[in-house]
Amino acid sequence: MNDDARPDYDLAVVGAGPAGQAACLALPDGPRIVVIDEQLRPGGQILRQPPRAFSVRGWLEGAEYRRLKARLAAFESLESVEWLGGCSVLGAREAGEGWRLALSDGGGVREVTARRILIATGCYDMAVPLPGWTLPGAMSAGGVQAFVKSQMLAPGHRIAFAGSHPLQLLAADQLRKAGGTVAAVAFSQPFRRFVLKALGRPWTALTNLPRLMSVLLMGWRLRAAGVPIHFGRAPTAVEGRDRVQGLRLEDGAVVACDAAAFCFGFLPQSDLPRAMGLAVRPARPGGWKACHDAWMRASRPGAYVAGETTGVKGADAAAAEGALAGLAVAVDMGVLPLREAVRRAAPVRRARARALRFAALLEAVADPGPLPDRDLPADTIVCRCEDVTMGDLRAALAIGADAGGVKLATRCGMGVCQGRNCEHGLLALLGGVSTEPHGFTPRFPARPIRIGDLLAED
Amino acid sequence: MRSDGDVRRGAPLTLLVDGQAVAAFEGETIATAMLARDLLAFRLDRGGRPRGLFCNMGVCGECLVTVAHGSASPRRLRACLTPAADGMIVTTRPDERR
Repeated sequence: MNDDARPDYDLAVVGAGPAGQAACLALPDGPRIVVIDEQLRPGGQILRQPPRAFSVRGWLEGAEYRRLKARLAAFESLESVEWLGGCSVLGAREAGEGWRLALSDGGGVREVTARRILIATGCYDMAVPLPGWTLPGAMSAGGVQAFVKSQMLAPGHRIAFAGSHPLQLLAADQLRKAGGTVAAVAFSQPFRRFVLKALGRPWTALTNLPRLMSVLLMGWRLRAAGVPIHFGRAPTAVEGRDRVQGLRLEDGAVVACDAAAFCFGFLPQSDLPRAMGLAVRPARPGGWKACHDAWMRASRPGAYVAGETTGVKGADAAAAEGALAGLAVAVDMGVLPLREAVRRAAPVRRARARALRFAALLEAVADPGPLPDRDLPADTIVCRCEDVTMGDLRAALAIGADAGGVKLATRCGMGVCQGRNCEHGLLALLGGVSTEPHGFTPRFPARPIRIGDLLAED
Repeated sequence: MRSDGDVRRGAPLTLLVDGQAVAAFEGETIATAMLARDLLAFRLDRGGRPRGLFCNMGVCGECLVTVAHGSASPRRLRACLTPAADGMIVTTRPDERR
């Protein structure tokens, strides 16, 4: 496989969530497409499918999931797509007339080449350091939800939810329906702030009334089931010895639980775009979102981005962007006239605009406020991989180090997560983010891999 | 705690986690098998404190465990992404610190 040879594929799609699926569905027959995802089955986090060995009746019911499942079924029936599930993309670099991707399936490393690449890798839960948050049993709410959706498991006997994002109501509701016990749901912000933020965008709130009502209904169902829902009570510490035994809230009360799920919002997956040299911008409430033109082309030729990689915005906007990227790839390959692409894109653009308005409302409502880093006790771990504490960071910051300097001095961000859990917190400590060079320099590989496997590669 | 609702799991299997036999079902990840058995520690940190899984989507690396299966040499794999298999040997506390 040398750089002059014809690439293995016309298009490599990284991520099989709504964006990746929609891109494939928007492309006409013909192009050789490979879709790569770390999960064994497509769906993305929103439709984390149970394994093939399971059969689940009534999986993810409701109108919103129904539409998503219909798209997933259409995607799974595409014959033009080669599916590489259970496969991590470690990195991608420009090679000849396209991109060379390094892949790992846990058994070894191999490379594939593609003329074009679409990064549709979604987002992940934003980690917010707290005393005790490294105790076994403390998890992201998205992680808990994924256990419920795809493994039919409640990862604890009594799970307490805390954070600022309304999604925790959905995660708690799904957990309860699956037979789990929700110890409490605690929101950092007072209830009136939800109402005020929603009223700040009255038209969007009004046009999304059914959605907002469904969130209220979840809260009501939880309350009716005896689950306490708190507002204006941020979590301040996870209590326990060797495992979670309680979650302490702002007023000092401790919720007894054996697992805690945190939900403060989401960060775009930005490892690949940044390591590929694609332009990114600061995202809210943290992280980096990939830049793109009106057709989801990224800042380098042959690279496209879609979905939450370009900013957290929900499945509908992600699917719209995926469809635009698919049309753009078709135009750029010369298999679809621009005029036809423009025609097909028009309703997609309207759907995207609608979804973005709702996403903006949700972002305002879910705003975690300033990351509660500044008041943390010195022994609170911030970088989970390398056990770097708040005190270590303060000492490094006191001598005037920037993010890169702090990384070198403390190892913050040098672990297997590549800074995904700590970079945003460190940057908040550094006094906010303006441009890309303030963050860590992204490093290969984006996912953990044995050095021996890299050496064994041809 | 496995949900006992409208779900049929795969065939029963047994893996060894730190020498302990853990019953699981085909289709479950190593992480699911461990949590269902109330095994919450996937590694020890530098201070010797137990650490749990955090993200359950391959992002954080907190659930990296050593997995040996069949004749293949042991590998460091994310328990949240790796399906459990019969006869798999999982170690959460390898001799070498990572």
